[in-house]
Amino acid sequence: MPNLAITLLLLPMFGALFAFVSGKINRKFAFWSAELIGLSLFLITLKLYSSYTMPIDLPMTWFSLGDFSIPFGIYIDKLSLVMLLIATGLGFLDIHFAHDYMKEDPHQPRYYAKVLFFIGGMILLVSAKDMVSLFTGWEFMGLASYLLISFWHEQSVPADAGVSAFLFTRFGDIFLFASIGLLFYLTGSLDLVHLNELATTGKIEQNMMYLIAVFIFIAAIGKSGQFPLFPWLMRAMEGPTTVSALIHGATMVNSGIYIVARLFDFYVAAEALIVVAAFGAISAFIGATSALVQSELKKVLAYSTMSHLSLAFIGLGAGSLAAGMTHLVNHAVFKALLFLGAGAIIMSAAHVKDMWRFGGLKAKMPLVALFMGLGALSLSGIPPFSGFYSKDAIIIATLTNPQTDGIISSLTLISGILSIAYIGRLWFLTFAGEPRDKELFEKTSKPSFFWITLPLGILGVATLVMGFFQGDIAELVSGSVPKEEHISGLFIGLMSSISLLGLIVYYYFVKRLDLTKKIAAQPLMRSIHKVLFNGYFIEFFIHYFAREVIVDGFAKAMNWIDTYIIDATVNATVSIAQRVKTLFAKLHSGYASDNSGAMAFGVLLLLVILFVGGAM
Amino acid sequence: MSGLGFIFSPFIIAILTALLFRKKSAVSKFVALALFTTMLLFSLHLFTELPSSGYLDLGTFLAVPQFDFFLSLKVDMLSTIMLTLTSVLLLLVALSSWSIKNQALYYSLLIFFSGAIFGVFMSTNLLWFFIFWELTLIPMYFLVGIWGAERRIYAAVKFFLYTHVASMFVLLAFFLIHKEAGTFDMTLVKEGMLLSPVLIWWLLFVGFAVKMPLFPFHTWLPDAHVQAPAPISVLLAGVLLKMGAYAMIRMVLLLLPETSQKYAWVLLALGLITLFYAGFMAIYETHLKKMVAYSSISHMGLVAIAMSTLSYAGLSATLYEMIGHAFVIAPLFLIAGFFHHKTGSWEMKDMGGIMQKAPYISAIFVLAGLGALGLPGTMGFVGELSILLSSIKSFGLWMAIVALGSMLGAGYIIWTLRRVIYGEMSEVVKKTDFSMNVFEFLALAVFALFIILFGLFPNLLFEYINPAFAQFSSLGGAL
Amino acid sequence: MISAFTILFAMSLVSLFFHRSYLLKPLSLVALLGAGYATFSGTVVPLIGFATNEQIQLFELVLELVLFATILHESEDITITQTLFLGSASVLLLQSDTLISFILSFEALSIISVVLVSYIKTKDQAEGAVKMFIAGSMATGIVLLGVAFYLMGGGMLLAPLSTQGSLFMGIGVALMLAGLFYKLTIVPFHGWAIDTYALVRHSHAAILSGVAKTVAALAIFKIFAPFLAEHITLSMPLLATLAIITMSLGNFLALFTKNIARILSYSSIAHAGYMLIAFVAVKSSYADEGILYMAIAYIFMQSGAFLALDSMKKEYEIETLDELKGFASQNPILSFFFTLQLFSLAGIPLLAGFLAKAVVFYAGVDAGLWWLVLIALLNSALSVGYYAWIIKSIYFDEGTFKAKLVELHLPLASQAILAVGTLFFGVYAGIIFR
Repeated sequence: MPNLAITLLLLPMFGALFAFVSGKINRKFAFWSAELIGLSLFLITLKLYSSYTMPIDLPMTWFSLGDFSIPFGIYIDKLSLVMLLIATGLGFLDIHFAHDYMKEDPHQPRYYAKVLFFIGGMILLVSAKDMVSLFTGWEFMGLASYLLISFWHEQSVPADAGVSAFLFTRFGDIFLFASIGLLFYLTGSLDLVHLNELATTGKIEQNMMYLIAVFIFIAAIGKSGQFPLFPWLMRAMEGPTTVSALIHGATMVNSGIYIVARLFDFYVAAEALIVVAAFGAISAFIGATSALVQSELKKVLAYSTMSHLSLAFIGLGAGSLAAGMTHLVNHAVFKALLFLGAGAIIMSAAHVKDMWRFGGLKAKMPLVALFMGLGALSLSGIPPFSGFYSKDAIIIATLTNPQTDGIISSLTLISGILSIAYIGRLWFLTFAGEPRDKELFEKTSKPSFFWITLPLGILGVATLVMGFFQGDIAELVSGSVPKEEHISGLFIGLMSSISLLGLIVYYYFVKRLDLTKKIAAQPLMRSIHKVLFNGYFIEFFIHYFAREVIVDGFAKAMNWIDTYIIDATVNATVSIAQRVKTLFAKLHSGYASDNSGAMAFGVLLLLVILFVGGAM
Repeated sequence: MSGLGFIFSPFIIAILTALLFRKKSAVSKFVALALFTTMLLFSLHLFTELPSSGYLDLGTFLAVPQFDFFLSLKVDMLSTIMLTLTSVLLLLVALSSWSIKNQALYYSLLIFFSGAIFGVFMSTNLLWFFIFWELTLIPMYFLVGIWGAERRIYAAVKFFLYTHVASMFVLLAFFLIHKEAGTFDMTLVKEGMLLSPVLIWWLLFVGFAVKMPLFPFHTWLPDAHVQAPAPISVLLAGVLLKMGAYAMIRMVLLLLPETSQKYAWVLLALGLITLFYAGFMAIYETHLKKMVAYSSISHMGLVAIAMSTLSYAGLSATLYEMIGHAFVIAPLFLIAGFFHHKTGSWEMKDMGGIMQKAPYISAIFVLAGLGALGLPGTMGFVGELSILLSSIKSFGLWMAIVALGSMLGAGYIIWTLRRVIYGEMSEVVKKTDFSMNVFEFLALAVFALFIILFGLFPNLLFEYINPAFAQFSSLGGAL
Repeated sequence: MISAFTILFAMSLVSLFFHRSYLLKPLSLVALLGAGYATFSGTVVPLIGFATNEQIQLFELVLELVLFATILHESEDITITQTLFLGSASVLLLQSDTLISFILSFEALSIISVVLVSYIKTKDQAEGAVKMFIAGSMATGIVLLGVAFYLMGGGMLLAPLSTQGSLFMGIGVALMLAGLFYKLTIVPFHGWAIDTYALVRHSHAAILSGVAKTVAALAIFKIFAPFLAEHITLSMPLLATLAIITMSLGNFLALFTKNIARILSYSSIAHAGYMLIAFVAVKSSYADEGILYMAIAYIFMQSGAFLALDSMKKEYEIETLDELKGFASQNPILSFFFTLQLFSLAGIPLLAGFLAKAVVFYAGVDAGLWWLVLIALLNSALSVGYYAWIIKSIYFDEGTFKAKLVELHLPLASQAILAVGTLFFGVYAGIIFR
């Protein structure tokens, strides 16, 4: 087993190299090597899963630094296996999907190499035993995501999006990096699994635990696109849609939740879960409301991702590991489905992303419409789709936990219910009604079945089937089946409000689109629209802060100090020397009489000093 | 004898090269390559001869016992590592200067420099150490002044004067050591022998802080770095600054451990200020090479922080970061110089989209940039992690702010990559042909290989680095 | 065995008959070799009141080598004769052991110096010569006044300088030193030197500032050191002040100066300041090695620099830094030698200038005067400012040159001799410490 685990870790890295080199020989080889490697990764994971008896624990030493030894351990338990299944499974489907999506791109070797590297990073992250290997995987993914988002780097917008993604996540990452140091100082160990046990024994000071928990959570916020570090996620939609599906729908954004789940006992002991829940609630609300007004297909999905990840955070924050993690698993599947579906649409529709130019596409691609519909239903939380169960469990968890009952639970409820509105809007605007851009509609081609529709079908079926295995998934990710708690009237209330909202969306976006446009033209609605459309201007504030305060304020001040104080002092020595020189030069007139005078004066002075000195 | 040969034969070869190959200057390159290869082999050979602890005696020459003035050559693990690093860098610098003008003189100065720097790392007599220390300035002065960019004269003279003034403090400190301890031999001096260790400590500290450089003594470096030709910037960052750090370890920390313990906070404070200050300077910079220069200074701040722990782990981290910094910053300088050479501009706004023209060179630039911001898998990360852990262990939790330094790193590197490598091609880039000499590319590739190799397998280096400070381990960390 | 003095003196007389003959130079060189051999075998001036020791012997050898190089370089017959005269006076001064022999030899040296520069062809040379003459006569007066006081206090002429004595003797010694310091160009007895060194022929300046000055410094130290050591409480602060003023004045004045000869003359004053540190640190056992080393290093580098400048003037009429621009591309070999001597003057290692300074300054530290040494070190660093600036003009700038006026070969040989000296004493200090 350990050998298999090591193979799993190393294969994608070597695979990336192999895909690149073989792709350089013939562009087609890149895809096929990636497909092959993706498949073998998934099969290895399945093998690990099927023969699972006990966690694989491989403590290894990376290097020894003086009298410290820096670990680099591997630990694969059930939680890791679930994450691995998601990463490799979705990764494989994504590579498969890319065959058509990236068909015309001349840089395929680079693309597949980066995707495999990304998958490798994710595998490393979820199999990490200690902070160092975790951070390595964490950063590998950050790098891969940066490289993939700016894959079309020859254009400015994706290049900027890459910068944004890197810097936002990096801001979070340094807190994770700092917490490595803090943990090392406080416990002398970097072992994550061990940390949970250590936290419960109370050997670490409570305040410190809280600090570390918050630090790690900041990193999680950055990676999972939560408030206030989410703007990068929206910009990341500039990358290829396959990348968005893989990174920003299904895998990387989950790593923030994963790390909180991995350290769940630690968070409980640190009493930091409320922070997680609170930030989750704010993000859920911002995400859900902003998703309502986006015009780009992928942006809607991006905000919905943010909102749904927040739900998972809220689930964890409310104290239910099972609820949060099952939601993460469910979400990964249906969001990958939706993203890939969006990719299918965009690819078929000449790379147009604006929903307002679609409409009536179900005639062109009925199967895609069907599968996306399944994903949408799951996302909105309609039974018996998987999304329903986990969302339900999260809402129940917030309502039953006295700490989160109140503002947090209401925000959760609102965001949960709003999902039907934005995803319904997306589906209706795209597939239902009349085509709004006739020319585009004519141009739209039918996607290939094997490369495009089949992966969607697999995911569509999965999200339906997973609904029936929620207990097993919960057992896998949390080690226990949560007891069913029921709050009377909740189910009825939820369902009725979801259906009502669904009907309203149907009415306004299919039947009376003209009315919607009229309402949107109202001044009040327009300002609200503006706020929501720009994600509450958070990106604007952050950019303003970064540019005006950090770069043009602080850094400029440093620059001024350096030029006009420090270096000026150094350079001033020259003018000082010049002055001294002029002074000395004045003493020397160049007349022989003055020379003799100076000599005489010197002798006189000498005599005086000698007399004085001699007298003393 | 061989040690002496590697110090003095370069001086003679340098003069001969300058005289003999003025007409056939291409020969000088091969002379330099052959010499530097031999030096590298010699340094590697030293590893096999080193005793498990302490010094390997390479002989004593030119003895003047009345003045305690011996050219005594002794190497230990620390100096052997520095010798190896230096010869590797010299070799790669010789490669990457392949198409420079006026080659006979250029390479003869490089050869001269190699002799001086070997002298620095090999001599244990303080006065001889100082002699070689100062001697390194001479070739550098000419290399910056003759082959430099527009403001080369200002930069060269500033570099020469500034560092020379600093050296005067060092010389005075050496005199005081001799007066009080009765010997110039650094292996014999014990702190207990000194009557005024504090005065000596400060003199040495200021002298070496200029060379490292630490805030506020750093202003000579951006000028020198920017105006020097790219390969010489590599030597400045990779060898000359490392010489300062080496001296700080050897003469300050190891020679005066007690006083250093007392004033470690000075080193720490200046290290922290340097880290952040230079980081902010780099963020504001739009001049490509200046940005790299400030990034280099910022990393020397990290080196100082690690040093100030005075612990086994901290000093090992210092040495690793010194090597890592050399390998990471070198390709950045070389490629920045290459871009300038091709586009004729230093400003980032004139570049952009170079990745489309020169993908492999740009990829190495990205890799080195990631090394500079401390991404796992590169030498930069191992260095930063080691420094974070060792400093937090020695100074407590608040040292976690070291992590913030890498945020600044991300800021300036990523934003620079965006402006220079990625995005749409600028008008200038569109017109430029980015073809590179194969030898120069070879040097870059070797640097890239090192960044990854030692970043993934740091133990390849730590195996040698740790024993260099083994004397700290027996004392349970700090002295 | 004939002494070096005899050989040199005889040769200088004989040389008068060989003017305008191609034999003059070879004969003088042979005589210098003979003098070198005589010095090596330890002969002394055959008169009462002269003695030698190993240090003096070493310096005499160096002196003869430098004179050899100077004559090799020289193209004027009269100057060769005077150089030989000056050499014999120097040997006399160096070997003098009693006060009277010292004073007399010193005056002989002064007179020959004046005679040397009196070979006037231009107005500038006249100015330089006259200034030197006036200052020299005044200094002689002061020295004699000192001698008078010294005798009044009970001193003896036919004996080495007494180490203790009355107030009058003290005043006498102080006055004598003041007068002698004129030759050493110590502030405030330096005024003449600024102009004289810069205005007279460069080859004369080489002899004046290189040879005469070092000989005087070494001889003064030899005679006066015991006295100064005895009265350290008074001599130390006085001489330290003079040292600081002298070196700072010299260095600051040299900055931003355009005329190369003038820079060298200022630097010569600064070096007098460094030499004075040995007088201050007379208590240290390193002081006599220090002054000896300083003298040896300085005689090589200063003569080398001035003679190189002389060649440059002859070749291209170079006087200022602007005219020097790009000289390395015109004459790389001479540029190299000039640069070498300048680096040595600046105190860059592996050259005699560095080790000499190191030993003198170490003597200062050894005597407990680390603050004085710090000032001296900073001064030395300051001096790099102008030396580096000259080198910058040679190598970094580009300039235009007219056709070469003359082709020089022997001067290059002479430069090579001086460069080897500078290098040798920069690497190996063993000979000094014996």
